[in-house]
Amino acid sequence: MSPLSLLASVAVDSLAYAMVLFVISVGLSITLGLMRFVNLAHGLFAVAGGYALVAAMARLGLPYEAAVPAALAAVALLAWPLERWLYRRLAGRSELDQVLFSIALVFIGIAGLGLLFGNAITAVRLPGYLQGSVSLGFRELPAQRLAALGAGVFTLVLLSWLMQSTRFGIELRAAVERPQAAQALGIRTTRVCSLAFALGAALAALGGVAGAELLPLEPHYPLKYLVLFLAVVAVGGLGSHWGLLAAALLLGTVETAAKYFVPGLSSIFFFTTMLAVLAWRPQGLFGRPV
Amino acid sequence: MRSIPRRRLCGALCALAAGALCTSAALAQEVVKVGVIGPLSGPFSAAFGIPFRQGVETYAAQVGGKAGNVKVEFVWRDLEGPNPERAKALAQELVVKEKVQYLGGFVFTPNALAVAPLVQGAKIPTVIFNASTSVVVSKSDYFLRTSNTLPQVTVPVARYALEKGLKRVVTAVSEYGPGLDAENAFKATFEAGGGQVIEVIRMPVQATDFGPFMQKVRSLKPDALFGFLPFGPPTFGFVKAFADNGLKADGIKLLGTAETQESDLQALGDAALKVETGYYYSAAHESPENKAFLAALAKTHPGAVANPATVAAYDGARLIFRMIEATGGKADPDKALAAVKGFKFESPRGPVEIDAKTRDIVQNVYMRSVEKGAGGKLVNKEFKTYAAQPDHGPQLTKK
Amino acid sequence: MNTILMKAPAQRLRWRPTALAPEALLLLGGIGLYLLVPDDLGFATRVLIGALFALSLDLVLGYGGIVTLGQAALFGSGAYAAGLFALHLSGNPLLGLVAGAAAGAATAGLTGWLVLRSHGLTAVMITIAVAQVLLEVASKWRSVTGGDDGLSGIAVQPLFGRFEFDFFGHTGYWYALVVLLLVFAALRRLVAAPFGLTLVGLREDRVRMVALGCRLQRRLGTAYLIGGAVAGLAGALSAQVTQVVGLSSLSFAQSAEALVMLVLGGTGRLWGAILGTAVFMGVHHLASSIDPLRWMLVIGVMLLGVVLFMPQGLSGAVVSLWRRLQRRQEAA
Repeated sequence: MSPLSLLASVAVDSLAYAMVLFVISVGLSITLGLMRFVNLAHGLFAVAGGYALVAAMARLGLPYEAAVPAALAAVALLAWPLERWLYRRLAGRSELDQVLFSIALVFIGIAGLGLLFGNAITAVRLPGYLQGSVSLGFRELPAQRLAALGAGVFTLVLLSWLMQSTRFGIELRAAVERPQAAQALGIRTTRVCSLAFALGAALAALGGVAGAELLPLEPHYPLKYLVLFLAVVAVGGLGSHWGLLAAALLLGTVETAAKYFVPGLSSIFFFTTMLAVLAWRPQGLFGRPV
Repeated sequence: MRSIPRRRLCGALCALAAGALCTSAALAQEVVKVGVIGPLSGPFSAAFGIPFRQGVETYAAQVGGKAGNVKVEFVWRDLEGPNPERAKALAQELVVKEKVQYLGGFVFTPNALAVAPLVQGAKIPTVIFNASTSVVVSKSDYFLRTSNTLPQVTVPVARYALEKGLKRVVTAVSEYGPGLDAENAFKATFEAGGGQVIEVIRMPVQATDFGPFMQKVRSLKPDALFGFLPFGPPTFGFVKAFADNGLKADGIKLLGTAETQESDLQALGDAALKVETGYYYSAAHESPENKAFLAALAKTHPGAVANPATVAAYDGARLIFRMIEATGGKADPDKALAAVKGFKFESPRGPVEIDAKTRDIVQNVYMRSVEKGAGGKLVNKEFKTYAAQPDHGPQLTKK
Repeated sequence: MNTILMKAPAQRLRWRPTALAPEALLLLGGIGLYLLVPDDLGFATRVLIGALFALSLDLVLGYGGIVTLGQAALFGSGAYAAGLFALHLSGNPLLGLVAGAAAGAATAGLTGWLVLRSHGLTAVMITIAVAQVLLEVASKWRSVTGGDDGLSGIAVQPLFGRFEFDFFGHTGYWYALVVLLLVFAALRRLVAAPFGLTLVGLREDRVRMVALGCRLQRRLGTAYLIGGAVAGLAGALSAQVTQVVGLSSLSFAQSAEALVMLVLGGTGRLWGAILGTAVFMGVHHLASSIDPLRWMLVIGVMLLGVVLFMPQGLSGAVVSLWRRLQRRQEAA
């Protein structure tokens, strides 16, 4: 492979991997960053999205295109009562209590998913145009990666628009930064936070669906990849989706490049990069200085 | 390594043996307990723990749960993953509290290694249903194995590659014990036969994205890629990445061992077609014993998927029942071992022998190719047999 | 929350018979456990070791306020150190414990400065990353650590030349119990001493403490170091009693489980760590033997119940129950 096409290949793979990381972690960035809730059960919403997709296609007979939004809606609907009855009760409690709570949810979720879907990997039956690979000229790229890339771009655009240009976004940012002032101004902070939580859950579900090729669906998913999600969010800095994108690109590129040149060390590179960024900028790449 | 003073150990053992003999003399003709440790929950339960249980229970049902006149009771303990400290504690509980006479199970090498001193000291014949590193069985005189060793299945794959005229191969393994063993065995055999391993790639066990590795392999333009990864998501991702990154279309062959085993095979889908693996059991094996086994399995566990772990446990149960029958239910470890050392029998996988000296399994290794079978389901279709393969580990020069 | 502050002056002013009450209770509990499961001492000893590990976490997190999900790095360091010590240097168990504690302290000392520079999510991620890097190194360094096969065949000399570490586990159990008792007593004195009170002060109101002239980094660093030593000690115990060391001792799961057990029991009380460990491991052991497929569900529901209805953990519930009973006695 010529050096140019090698570099291009590394770039393509890094971008594809980074976008999957981005989509999967952006929901966590919202709950953790905006709502200040240590939600370690984020992976549960992600994998629930994947499983909901499989169930919608298998049990309800929906085609893939309809099943995806159905799955996202299902997870968001599931998240709403969870937030209303459980998460809200713990919003004021210490971070450790929130950790314990979300771990409890994860345990229950893993057991439940295992009972419903079995402990082996559940594959998603993709439509024809998402199977196989797409030719980029100098190499092939799995079609699913392109789809994940698309999902990532879509998410980025959606979030930017939501946060900057809509009333919801402005209210949310107000509710997070100055809850009392926001309430005094008549913003229904609890309503806004519930919506934000549901959004975070839906985005997690989207991540689970888009990332199903990279992170296959199995009950232990939430615990297995927890460190991965947390790493991307921490490096990105809380509350900024641009920061998250930057973090995903950085970590994704480092790990991918390492896989090309020093395969055995790619994991070590991932974590040392994380350490280096956090040592240099404890608030993350784009986070607010603490 | 310091040795424990014999006096104390002997004293403890004599007490245990005397106690066991007294109780078992009274209990002979009654119940013998067998402890099995495996991942009944967690990520490995579908590929190992549940098949272990199904295999054992199928055999037990076939013989009416009795070895001769003795009733056999299985005690199950859950160990989700490699955790040697917990493995030792569970084995201790089974031996001391449940007073099992035999142990079975063990998916992971570190867990089996951890219980070796215990099994040796307490003289508990232990049948290993999976752990495939060569050295494991040699760590105690009471270890037996009914699964396979890595060199045992990898050497035939390398030989097959040589026979097919493949000259240039890349190996890509996960960087952990079994992966390194497999890489070693393949490389040594392939190069000894005149082939060339042009690149050795070691991937972190945690890796999720195999695209970059595949691109690297593709750029090297080998005749084949030999892979070895742990069960579950890594294998899944690897096989899919192989197909989706154009290597299949390029005509590069994918060679492996257990990657296409039955519990994950359907989930792999068409990406797995034409992958050639060398292993000791395929559910599609055509023999009357396998037919009978599958029928019995379907009877005791309708809907169960037979995979190599099921058969390893099934045969392991056969060994345990044989040992119990030979000793009449009494705790006589040496007599028990004598009954199975050199034991030849027809397993659902094919003809099998427990080597009298090494206590390891000697069996046929089959080259299989993934094809669409009856009803459109994927099967591992056997097309070549390497007969009576012993553990090749000791003969290979280790790095 | 302020039990230490309320108790401390009395303890410092004069020695009372009840000063050793918690240690006595722990000893009774240990004896009780021994009598309860005399033929499952492997499990019982793992509970003691887990409790010791949770104590180290309580010091760092409950008292020091340093949230860490990487305490296993220190546990594993101690375990490997003790294992390698027994394999290559000397089979003396007590010296092995010293080696383990020293290794834990050394790792804490080397990495503590990174952790203490930050707080919140960043600090947690740093602890996770450090532990992961250590895990990867141990995994790769097969010649020394045995890699993922683990370190096995660790043989330890009989304790005091007489008590053998056999597979019945009697020696191992009492050995672990005595170590736990001694460390528990020492830590209790430590947190009642000015050092411990400073830690509590830093946890409650860092700004004021610094304004009062407290050397923040020095104090927290020492706490982290001591926590590391205790965690290393727990690891060494594990290596000696089970006679194996696996990569699982350095894993994220090990750290996370300890955190869950500690929060379950209640932080900042020391005995909460022991209670939480006993309950969690007990329920896991029982549920796993009864129904391997559903034990996670049982534990999850239990944790959910505790976090919703017992804000201070199990020990907090016990304390408020005790107080309510006392008040009822006084009212009566």
